[in-house]
Amino acid sequence: MNTAPLPTAQPLAALAGFAAHLREHGFVVGVAEQQAMVRAALALPGALQQPARLGEAWRSIACHGARDWRRWPDLFQRYWQPHRSTGSMRVSGQTRPPRDIRQLVQQLHDSLGEGGTKPGATAADTALTDSPAEGDALNRHQGGASRTEALHDRSLHEWLPQDLALLQQWAERIAARLRRRLTRRWHAHPQGRRLDLRHTLRRSLATGGVPVAPAWHQPRRERPRLFILVDVSRSMETHAQLFLRIARAFVVAAQARVFVFHTRLAEVTPLLQRDSGAVQEKVNAVTAGFAGGTRIATSLADFHRVHARAQLGRRAQVWVLSDGFDADEPQRLAEELAAVRGRGARITWFHPSPAVPASAAMAAARPQVQRFVRLASLRDLATAADLID
Amino acid sequence: MTTTEASPQSLREALHRVGYIADEALATTLWLAGSLQRPLLVEGDAGVGKTALAQALAKAEGRRLVRLQCFEGLDLSQAAYEWNYGRQLLAIRRAESGASTADDAALFSQDFLLQRPLLQAIVSDEPCVLLIDEIDRADEAFEAFLLEVLADWQITVPELGTLRARQVPRAVLTSNGTRELSDALRRRCLYHWLDYPTLAREIAIVRATLPQAEGLLVEQAVAFVQRLRREDLGKTPGVAESLDFVRALHQLGHQRLPDEPAALAHVLACLLKTREDLFQFGVDGPGVRLLQVLEGRKAGGDGVAVKHATPLP
Repeated sequence: MNTAPLPTAQPLAALAGFAAHLREHGFVVGVAEQQAMVRAALALPGALQQPARLGEAWRSIACHGARDWRRWPDLFQRYWQPHRSTGSMRVSGQTRPPRDIRQLVQQLHDSLGEGGTKPGATAADTALTDSPAEGDALNRHQGGASRTEALHDRSLHEWLPQDLALLQQWAERIAARLRRRLTRRWHAHPQGRRLDLRHTLRRSLATGGVPVAPAWHQPRRERPRLFILVDVSRSMETHAQLFLRIARAFVVAAQARVFVFHTRLAEVTPLLQRDSGAVQEKVNAVTAGFAGGTRIATSLADFHRVHARAQLGRRAQVWVLSDGFDADEPQRLAEELAAVRGRGARITWFHPSPAVPASAAMAAARPQVQRFVRLASLRDLATAADLID
Repeated sequence: MTTTEASPQSLREALHRVGYIADEALATTLWLAGSLQRPLLVEGDAGVGKTALAQALAKAEGRRLVRLQCFEGLDLSQAAYEWNYGRQLLAIRRAESGASTADDAALFSQDFLLQRPLLQAIVSDEPCVLLIDEIDRADEAFEAFLLEVLADWQITVPELGTLRARQVPRAVLTSNGTRELSDALRRRCLYHWLDYPTLAREIAIVRATLPQAEGLLVEQAVAFVQRLRREDLGKTPGVAESLDFVRALHQLGHQRLPDEPAALAHVLACLLKTREDLFQFGVDGPGVRLLQVLEGRKAGGDGVAVKHATPLP
């Protein structure tokens, strides 16, 4: 491995701020990634003249999947060129000088040339000195990604720790109940019920053709891949909190992928993966600020064509948590659900109302849904546990 | 002759010379992977040129290509190394008959080791490109084994010790995203998402591969494929399909893309690979959609409408 000495000074603080910014948005960027980013900035010829090229190089280091890949351009611009980002973000009142990636690269080169900046030396660029170190990065307004507004605590004071433990327990019970589907494939298993003749013969070569250690295999059973789509539109405001909590429990218990939608669809699995005090804030941030209509059919189309394209198959289960009020044309919902079913996935619809949703869209779509389950409280989840397989 | 390119731009040009048209971001990532000696994980839909990238890289840098095709049930003996039991037995028999001497150390030496792709790449004297194709098809256990190889460029054979790479290979891993890869593997690699090429880039790719095809035909056919990709298809055609399509049209003697759907009927098999897609767009099916795509109109009426003098059949 290349172990060039790394400069230690202000530019690294700016980079650490960027890493913290990425981590806040669900990226896995640790020390190793930051070191690689510094090396890339130093090694890449012409990084100073073409910051965009450096951005591409960092993209390949910081992104670990297609999801990260899609979100990168926006996050990169928000941090390094916040003045260019236009959006609905409220300005927090804090003023900060613009960060400049060229100056960062120049400083990295300079500090490397000097053999590292001396402690206490001040950097020429105030924007970089101003950049947050990792510790206080969370408390600051981060280049446009305002969190403060969305973090007001809402309604869930009544969630006691024992409720959460109970929820997790039920989620695990349901996850365990999800029927493991038999596949055509066999896999090696020490207690398998059939002799794996090919492997046994192959192994016996090591012992002169005597099958001393027979190999066994058994049919592979796989758990369904779980996709949870949570409606967070205005009409679902009161229920979205509960639904996201439940979805989080399944992310932990069954490695589910969770999406939220109102008029658009977005994946929130990375936000829900880690269990920390911040989960509540994240759940609030996701649900707050959404208003207006629901476009279930459009969101479903985006779901099966883009986000889950490769993973939606016979083993997939799609849970939609919604009241079924759709602003798209009524027949489209049935078409999109049929497309999801066409891939072999099973669809379960969870609704908060006592009766099965009866909007025009839902009436047409009913044959496509395997099961309707009421879900308005934790107790319903316990009942649902017996219905789901 | 092995060369390592000095900058992303020169790597891009070298790739261009061997017929792979990479955009700037891809060339930068590829160059960086070499510079940082990190493996590169390339994800993307089938047919966007992931495997071709590794082949082109090997050609451009004059390296040998070592390819490991992954599949379910792939194990160490197929991927890394295996003892040549047959030869070992023969050596023992020979020793028993007094023709030679065989001791344990000799039986477990490099002579009796069968090198599979991973070990080949590690012990190779000349620098090579290691292509680990469709890693998502292999099991999790195999992925865990790869961590040692990709992070430290070494393979441990219990009987022999640890074999370190003499020349760090340029590793390219490809995945279709059918299974989530582990975070540990992802973090050891640089990552690049390879999307379908833009119109200009795809025209350049087809021209580089099929220089004999007429310019007008290439432009029109590629534009047609690009429009087709925006339709709701079961299997979206990739770059390989575009190449087949243009090649077929060229060999049938077309100078430009035919206007009539009927003339395209048999060539469409190069692009559409499922029965549903063929029914949707084929002339045996409704037929109207194909005409719409040919004329550049969007199904459903929204989008850019191009007026056509003759009414639809």
